[in-house]
Formats: sequence, structure tokens, C-alpha cells
Amino acid sequence: MNDVSETKLYRLEADWLDAALGALERDGVEVLAPVKDEDGSVNLAPVTASSEVATDYLNALIPLKSVFMPRTEVLIEYERAGVGDVEVLPGAAPAGQRVVLGCRPCDARALVMLDSVFNWDYEDVPYRARRDSTTVVSWACMDPGPHCFCTSVGGSPHSAEGSDAVVYLAGSGPALLQVVTAKGAAFVESLGDRAQPAADGTALPEPPELETKFDTGEIKTWLDENFESELWEEVSLRCLGCGACSFLCPTCHCFDIVDESTWKHGERRRNWDSCAFCQFTQHASGHNPRPNQTTRCRQRVMHKFKYFPDRFEQVACVGCGRCAQNCGVGQNLVSILSRIQSEEKP
Amino acid sequence: MTSEEPALQHVQADLEPGRLIPVDYRPDKMRIEAITVETPDVKTFRLTFCDAQKAGQFAFLPGQFGLYSVFGAGEATFCIASSPTRKGYIECSVKSAGKVTGELHQCEVGDTIGFRGPYGNSFPIDRMKGKNLLFIGGGIGLAPLRSVIGNCLDWRDQFGEVFILYGARSVDDLVYKEELETWRNRTDVRTLFTVDPGGETPDWDGQVGFVPTVLEEAAPNPENTIVLTCGPPIMIKFVLNSLTKLGFSLDAAYTTLENRMKCGVGKCGRCNVGNVYVCKDGPVFRCDQLQALPQEF
Repeated sequence: MNDVSETKLYRLEADWLDAALGALERDGVEVLAPVKDEDGSVNLAPVTASSEVATDYLNALIPLKSVFMPRTEVLIEYERAGVGDVEVLPGAAPAGQRVVLGCRPCDARALVMLDSVFNWDYEDVPYRARRDSTTVVSWACMDPGPHCFCTSVGGSPHSAEGSDAVVYLAGSGPALLQVVTAKGAAFVESLGDRAQPAADGTALPEPPELETKFDTGEIKTWLDENFESELWEEVSLRCLGCGACSFLCPTCHCFDIVDESTWKHGERRRNWDSCAFCQFTQHASGHNPRPNQTTRCRQRVMHKFKYFPDRFEQVACVGCGRCAQNCGVGQNLVSILSRIQSEEKP
Repeated sequence: MTSEEPALQHVQADLEPGRLIPVDYRPDKMRIEAITVETPDVKTFRLTFCDAQKAGQFAFLPGQFGLYSVFGAGEATFCIASSPTRKGYIECSVKSAGKVTGELHQCEVGDTIGFRGPYGNSFPIDRMKGKNLLFIGGGIGLAPLRSVIGNCLDWRDQFGEVFILYGARSVDDLVYKEELETWRNRTDVRTLFTVDPGGETPDWDGQVGFVPTVLEEAAPNPENTIVLTCGPPIMIKFVLNSLTKLGFSLDAAYTTLENRMKCGVGKCGRCNVGNVYVCKDGPVFRCDQLQALPQEF
């Protein structure tokens, strides 16, 4: 992503969203925007009219990662070709041009972490194709929710990391847009006269205040020394191993690869997986390096706050709060981390 | 013994800083050329690439692994069990244990399977040159050692004494019986083959006893020696104890881990031991480095 050297601000007219949707549709670009489902939850979905777009929402239930790493995708297909032979066919064609319009900055920031993994010496071709063909326009967070903790993990309700552009909405009136990358600049161009360079001296709004709940540096110091702590057993007692926290986590990227086939035709699929599942690491022999929920819970915390920083110099958490909000047994990452911090600093 | 070569060689050919290797998870097709029944539940498959160009380009180092797939059943990870000095084919030895391995055991000569790889690092051939070599294998753990043993025996004059200690639960469970015989008949290789107590047959002329016990009795000289060991986790654990007792330094001992993997390239997130990824940082590890990791493998 070519970063734009200086912050460029644009003033968007009140009807900018209609203009954007119209222009992008004419160019054959698919737009994914927050849409309210019947049950009240919001998710990113294809839209063609501004009336479909939910502008007043906390966050999507399913995180932005699903746009780049779908819950399930076909990696390859194959056809039986005679006895004992197959013809291997290419997987699904890469996605066309897309714009995500209205994810939250925390979810966009998670892309920086996913990029680290999916470009770690080996470039994951399907992921990269979707990243290249997708422009990410975040809507700055004006009113964080009760579970949000982005400021505790190095983020901000107005973070521009991972976004190509950030829009600061102000009700249904004119908005402010910050261009972050060349892709963001191209998006502004598609708005035509509905986007004008902001007047000199225009400043970005101050982000809303969000209390910092723990210090990731101190947490890491504790994790470095406490693989064997009794705390792991205690904090994992309630965990059912359902995997909801990882499926809904914008940075969790673990996947499974499975074949699904009939006799003549088959697909090799990549599906989301979770370190919380009991068979995740189980060998065919039955041996399991992480044989119980305690070791699996520990892996999840260690991966995000120790192993990932060891490798990529960033924690693998953006503080969106989905894991705490959606846990069926009230498990809470923030409380575990706060607890760890209190161990570190008695 | 000092550790003059802390980093293991990543041949990955192409793994240079800043250069990304694209991975689209598309396997290359390989044809099963031969099947050897090693034990009641282990078969060795000799494979050649269907694509001539791929066959010509393919190279690997001993210790590296691949993802083998039976179309319709899925992918599974095995080391390459043949020596890189033997060109034109690869072999893998597979124990029938799960879905993919079970289907693989149903395959016949002439069938097509998929292969992705080679991935991972390799045994430290360069460090081994000029040294005495002690190979300690257990069960099907001889498979990765067979690749490096074959490599070393093909370059025999570059190494000092070669000692191969191999054991299995029973005589039936010994793999590569033909090669064991070849190795035993060589005058430039010392061999010691053993089966667990109760696993012997009336005509068994090898040792009876667990590998670590037999190792201690054989008491090889640690001086100027590199140890390569592979086998069940419990065997490795006791072998390392025995090596320490015998005066070996674990920074001169290497083993290879085989955690469950899906991608083979550091993305799917399941083969890690602590912050180490078996697929990218291994599968070959120096034993002292392994002992410093969380004991979660």
C-alpha cells in the first residue's frame, strides 16, 4: 500500500454516499457496507442504495477479516479423470474490485496483523488477491461500546492503520474524509464533486475518550515467565471450547483445509478453525499437544500477546470487544488480561 | 562440542529476506511408482512428478517435509523419507492412522496423488561433515533419518564413523527391513537393531530392550559426534536423558518434530510450540533449543 505522504482531508457533501454508490456501481465495483439484519445485528453486505446502509452502529457482528479470508473458500477443484487419476482445476477466480465502505477502524487495523501472517515469507495467493482488489474505507468510531478496549492495545477509535481512507461522519450532514493510501485517493476521485479538499486549517475531530484497561508490555513480561502458571487453569474453567471468540475475532486467522467430494468431483476448501477446538492439534495417533481447555485457552492468550509480538512486534488484538460480548459463558479477555497485569504488578 | 552453527539451514531455496514465495495451495500431481509394505500398518510410496518440468526443477534437503494429498480425502504431512542424492523420485512412509493415511493405503501403483513442498528446514549436513554420526531411530521415526542416512552414506567419505541404532516395538514393526540388512552388511557402518521386550521372535538375532537402554549399554563416544534422533515423543525424552548421561552435549543433537499441520507455510496456526512454528522454524530442531521451549509437543 503506497501511503500518502501527507494527511489529505476532504469535505464530503451530505449526499456523498449516494454519489459513491452510484459511481462505484457504474464502474462495476462491488460495495460492501454495514447492513442491519432482521435480528438487529449488523454485518458487511453488498449494497446498491444508501438507504440500505446502517450508519449508526457499534460494529459488525462478523469481522472484516471475512472479506479477505471467507469462512469457507474453494482452494482447488478436481475432477476424476479415469481410474486413479484426477484433473486439478484452478480454484475460484479472484474477487473483482470491491470497496468496503464503513468498517470500523479496529477491524481495519486487524488487517495489518493479518498481512503479517499471510505475507510471512510465503505469500498466501487468495488472501493477497482479495487485499489487492479491495479498498477499505473505515468510519471513525465516535461512540465506543462498553466492551471496546482499542486504546489498551495500541489502537484508537480514529486509527487509520489498515484503512485506505477514514470517514468521520457527523449525523447525516457533511462528513470529513482522510485519505491514507493511494487506493483511498482513488476512492475520493470516484466521488467527483461530492468531495472537495477541506479548507486549510481543518482539523480531524478528537477521538472519544476510552479508558486504558491494561498494559500489553506488562502483560507480555508476565507471559514470558508464566507458561506454567496455575492461573491458566483458573481462567479456563468456564470455557466450553465453542470457538465463538476466535470466529468473531478480527485477527484470528487459523484455518483448516479439507476435501469435500463426490465420486467424480471434489473441492479442497479452506475453512475457519479455532485453537479452542479439542481436535485442533490432535495427531492421527491420538496424541494431542494441547489435550485440555486449559492448554488451549493459554495458547489463545499466549498467541495474541506473546508469540505474535515475538514474531511480528505487534499484539494480535485490536480491542474490538467481540470476544467478551459474545462469549456464551461470560468469559472475558479484558478481565483475564487485567488479572494477569495485577499478577505482574501486585 | 560448541555450537558453531546456531541457525539451521533453510534451503527453501528461495527463502531470501524480502522475497515472497507465492502459495496457492495447488498441489502438484505425483504418480505412485511403487509401494513397499514395511509393516502391517506402514507402507512406503515411491512417487514421481507427473509434470516433467516440475520433476526437473524439484530439489529438497534431508529432513524437509511435504503435504501429500489423496484427492477426496484431504492432505496430510509427512517427511520425505528418501535421500536427496537419489534423483528422480521421492518416497514417503505412511502409517495408516487416520482418514488421509487410510485412503493412501488403499491406493495402488499408477494412482495419482497430490504433493506440496518441500517445506521446512533440514538436517545440518554441513555441520555434520567431518564428524562421527550417531543416528537413533524408533518405529516409523526412522523415516526422516533414512533420508539423511542415505544422503550421508552416498557421501560416505565426508563423514567419520557412522552408528545407526534403531528399535521398534516388535520385529514386525521394524521398517525398511531391506535397508537395515544393507546397512548391517556394510563394513563402514556400525548398526544395532533392537525390539522392545516381548516383541522379539524366535529367530530374531538383534537386541531386545528399549532404545534408551540399548543406547546406554552401547555407550557410544560423544567426542566429535553429531546425534540425529527421531521417534515417538516418549522415546526422544528418554534418549535425551541417556545421551546426557553418556556425556553428549544436546547442542550437538538434533531431532525432528511432526506436529499436525494444514498449510505447511506458517499461516494456519496449529503447529506452533510456544513462539516456534514447526513448519517454518523446523521440523528439525537442536535438542537443547527444543528443551528450552514450552513442553507442549
